[in-house]
Amino acid sequence: MDATHFVSINTGSSEPIYRQLIEQVKRRVAAGQIRAGDEIPSVRELAQALAVHPMTISKAYSMLEAEGVLERRRGLSMVVAAQHRRAQPAASRIELLRPTLERAAQEARQLQLPRAEVLALMKTLLDQEDLKP
Amino acid sequence: MNAAALAIDNKPCAEMRGVSVAYPHGPRVLDALDWSLLPGQVVGLLGRNGAGKTTLLETLLGLRETDAGQVQLFGQGAANIDDAVRARIGYVPQHSALFESFSAAQLLAYFRSFYPRWNEAKVEGLMSRWDIPRNMPIRKLSGGQQQRLSIVRALAHDPDLLVLDEPVASLDPAGRRDFLRELVDQVLSRGTTVVFSTHILSDLQRVAFNVAFLNAGRIALQAPLDELLDEVRLLTGSSSELQALLNRLGVGALRRTPLDAGRERMLVRLPRDSQLPAGLQVDSVNLEDLFLELT
Repeated sequence: MDATHFVSINTGSSEPIYRQLIEQVKRRVAAGQIRAGDEIPSVRELAQALAVHPMTISKAYSMLEAEGVLERRRGLSMVVAAQHRRAQPAASRIELLRPTLERAAQEARQLQLPRAEVLALMKTLLDQEDLKP
Repeated sequence: MNAAALAIDNKPCAEMRGVSVAYPHGPRVLDALDWSLLPGQVVGLLGRNGAGKTTLLETLLGLRETDAGQVQLFGQGAANIDDAVRARIGYVPQHSALFESFSAAQLLAYFRSFYPRWNEAKVEGLMSRWDIPRNMPIRKLSGGQQQRLSIVRALAHDPDLLVLDEPVASLDPAGRRDFLRELVDQVLSRGTTVVFSTHILSDLQRVAFNVAFLNAGRIALQAPLDELLDEVRLLTGSSSELQALLNRLGVGALRRTPLDAGRERMLVRLPRDSQLPAGLQVDSVNLEDLFLELT
């Protein structure tokens, strides 16, 4: 897999880079974009592509391994674990969105916004995304 | 990464104990400062302008006299290191006094004679990839080219300890990314210990596994950045409630800011799975927040 497009990171976030990596890999596995047996970039390839300290990458990979998302093949390459043969059903995929939406909901309450306006904004954002190729 | 190699030699590459440095007739810049760099660590040094980052790095390298304390480099007193230790250190000063009438090729040939371990293939590769003219006088190179040349010179002898003082200040974003990749490669292939100061926090967040905050002449805090982002929170609430919480958790505040009406804002490194009382405002922090609070 091409390391440059595997994941992206957002510096300046309060979410550490290793957790950004974990969440993105989980989302891609849940959506079935990468599946059981797919090889993922090595620590070295991804560290180079993102210009990120290799320990940050190996920390993320180890935690994904511990959670059963990735597994280590003979040698050093990591692959998507055998149980992830297809995309997860929407009912469990949407759970991955919960933390982000909970945070958005909390901020909406702090801003004292009417619920209809918040939902309308969410709809607009989703529709915008649909227009992209 | 290279856990086995690290376990064999876990003695600090560089160590400072109780180091004080004052400018003549001036205040102390470093005040009984303790610091150590372990093999393979990559440490980003953060501090405000004038906090003494350059003084700290120069003192670490034995380039400045101390008023008190000890500085050790690879087990030798920093002021009296021998050639063998000198050859294990690479340094990119903030303002490099490169020999301006030399060409890059002449400069590198000159330095090559001092170092038994000189990686010509690496030098050639970097000179080509970083587009540094070899035969023009150095004074005619752009600021960015001069800075890249200074970095090539510091990496050329495959140092075990690399000290970089604002290494990317005159590089554009593409040049900075090239430089960061080279650093990552050093760490990957050689386990080089790296300490660098910069104000570009996004670069630091990528490659510095550890961050050190210099404030009031001391290293106020040094820790893995991941852990700080996971554990440090800004808590806002009544002073008494916050103090009770700190007592219960058995931790101190990294910084306290009094607000009006008996309220306070505290930067706290929380133990894992801390239970926080409802009604307390709890905010995550990013590296910029940490910089503003701790320096």
